[in-house]
Amino acid sequence: MMQQITSAQVVILAINSFALGGLLFLLSAGFSLIFGLMRIPNLMHGAFFMLGAYFGVSFLEWGMNFWLAALLSGLAMAAIGGLIERVLLRRLEGQVLPQVLLTLGFAFIIADICLMIWTGDPWQPTPPPELRGAVQAMGMFFPLYRLMVLAVAVAVAIALWILVDWTRLGAMIRAGVDDPPIARVVGIKVSQLFTLVFCLGAALAAFAGVMGAPFLSVYPGLDFEMLPLALIVVILGGTGSLLGALVGSFILGFLYNFGQAMFPDLAYVILFLPMLLILVLRPQGLFGRVMT
Amino acid sequence: MAASALGLREIDAFYGDSHILQKVSFALGEGRLLGLLGRNGAGKSTCINVVVGLLPARGGTVEVFGTDITRLPPESIAARGVALVPQGRRVFKSLTVRENLLVAARPPGAGSRHAPWTAETVFGMFPRLAERRHQIAAHLSGGEQQMLAIGRALMANPRVLLMDEPSEGLAPQIVADVMATVRTLKESGLSIVLVEQNPRLVLDIADDIVILNSGRVAVVTTPAGLAREGIDLTQHLGVY
Ligand SMILES: Nc1ncnc2c1ncn2[C@@H]1O[C@H](COP(=O)(O)OP(=O)(O)O)[C@@H](O)[C@H]1O
Ligand SMILES: [Mg+2]
Repeated sequence: MMQQITSAQVVILAINSFALGGLLFLLSAGFSLIFGLMRIPNLMHGAFFMLGAYFGVSFLEWGMNFWLAALLSGLAMAAIGGLIERVLLRRLEGQVLPQVLLTLGFAFIIADICLMIWTGDPWQPTPPPELRGAVQAMGMFFPLYRLMVLAVAVAVAIALWILVDWTRLGAMIRAGVDDPPIARVVGIKVSQLFTLVFCLGAALAAFAGVMGAPFLSVYPGLDFEMLPLALIVVILGGTGSLLGALVGSFILGFLYNFGQAMFPDLAYVILFLPMLLILVLRPQGLFGRVMT
Repeated sequence: MAASALGLREIDAFYGDSHILQKVSFALGEGRLLGLLGRNGAGKSTCINVVVGLLPARGGTVEVFGTDITRLPPESIAARGVALVPQGRRVFKSLTVRENLLVAARPPGAGSRHAPWTAETVFGMFPRLAERRHQIAAHLSGGEQQMLAIGRALMANPRVLLMDEPSEGLAPQIVADVMATVRTLKESGLSIVLVEQNPRLVLDIADDIVILNSGRVAVVTTPAGLAREGIDLTQHLGVY
């Protein structure tokens, strides 16, 4: 049942794991912020990822620069996410089941719209020209683009950490989570800040979609492949914890790649078993605060 | 007559179907301190919630320096210069002491005479907070949290300060410190509503007294008037 792998394969698998981990972080950081700060279980998050990837595909088809395409896709998704949050989700504040149903419904709607516009065929854009190929070091080849995904994820992680933990804006968001009515009395525009967080999360998901497209490709069903991964990451790491999302992403990146290589028959067991264990043994996640 | 700093006129307020405040009216003069008394459940905090916009009034108006704020959301009322030291302190527990102050910071409005409050001037007033500026607020003692709640309110450079039972649950020495702070703030010219259940804490510091009983204004007087008119406090406040 267990497949043998060589040490060269281990290195490649490790790099792929780091790259996938970085991508999962870009995906789940937004999910974690939205769930941890606003308590909204956003089941559209996988759809945001896929729609963002499709946006990127089209922008690239029009000859746009890769990074510009990724940024623009993020901006477009911020606008769409912000609209859904303000117009619809806002009315369901604090009602978890209606939020689940609404976001799930929207996930299906987005999937159908994508199928209509981008058809059922897979799209696989090429990475930006300067990142094609590999660098050689210690007698091995390292795929450049995947290293870049990792670097971007780490940069985003640092930027988010500074934003949330070290700026006045971040402190205002956390105050709005601690005690929403008193935060408003103190003069904090809690509702606008939460919309901002939602937009940021949506933008990150779409950005991740474009970043992932060159190695995952984009196809119908990608949304509901990514959503459970974001859920697992957030449950492993703990909701609302950026460090947790980062560590959870890399754990999952490794489980995914090594699990598929070594135990191809047990891929789902390897993905979901750690999540089940955490849920039973440490429900707040590895780095999560106990929610009150 | 000059506009008062804060005026409630015929306020009716409900929680669900229960009619809590019934035609409540009173006014706080500029630079004065109004002691709002009443036993537990009399409606003091409900008045405060109406003023800060957390509980919309069903009838009546609230004015701040002559401007109607009755229908404004809490953020906008804060921007009009109303700050609250809430009952139970309610500091932002997961934020540090310094962050608790910074999130509330607001430059003073035009025409403010007092030197503006900043984190540093708040720390100057409460050296214990300065020592703990990087600690998480949840780790502070009750007295320190009360100081932080007061400091947070001052950071908005308010024109009207509402303090809801700032002595609640504190040791006598700390209560004395808090009252000394209230006196200092009053002397700086701030207009203050001080909510208390215990009249003794209020009588020697207040300019005006309003007593609520079952959601209605039962008495409007001054500390001297209270003694002169022989108003029976036990009738409205229970035994003290
Ligand atoms: N959130 C609430 N929902 C329903 N009833 C409330 C609520 N808050 C207060 N009350 C009721 O309103 C009345 C006045 O309460 P409150 O204004 O808190 O009194 P006080 O501050 O004078 O002790 C009480 O009878 C109380 O039970
Ligand atoms: Mg009260």
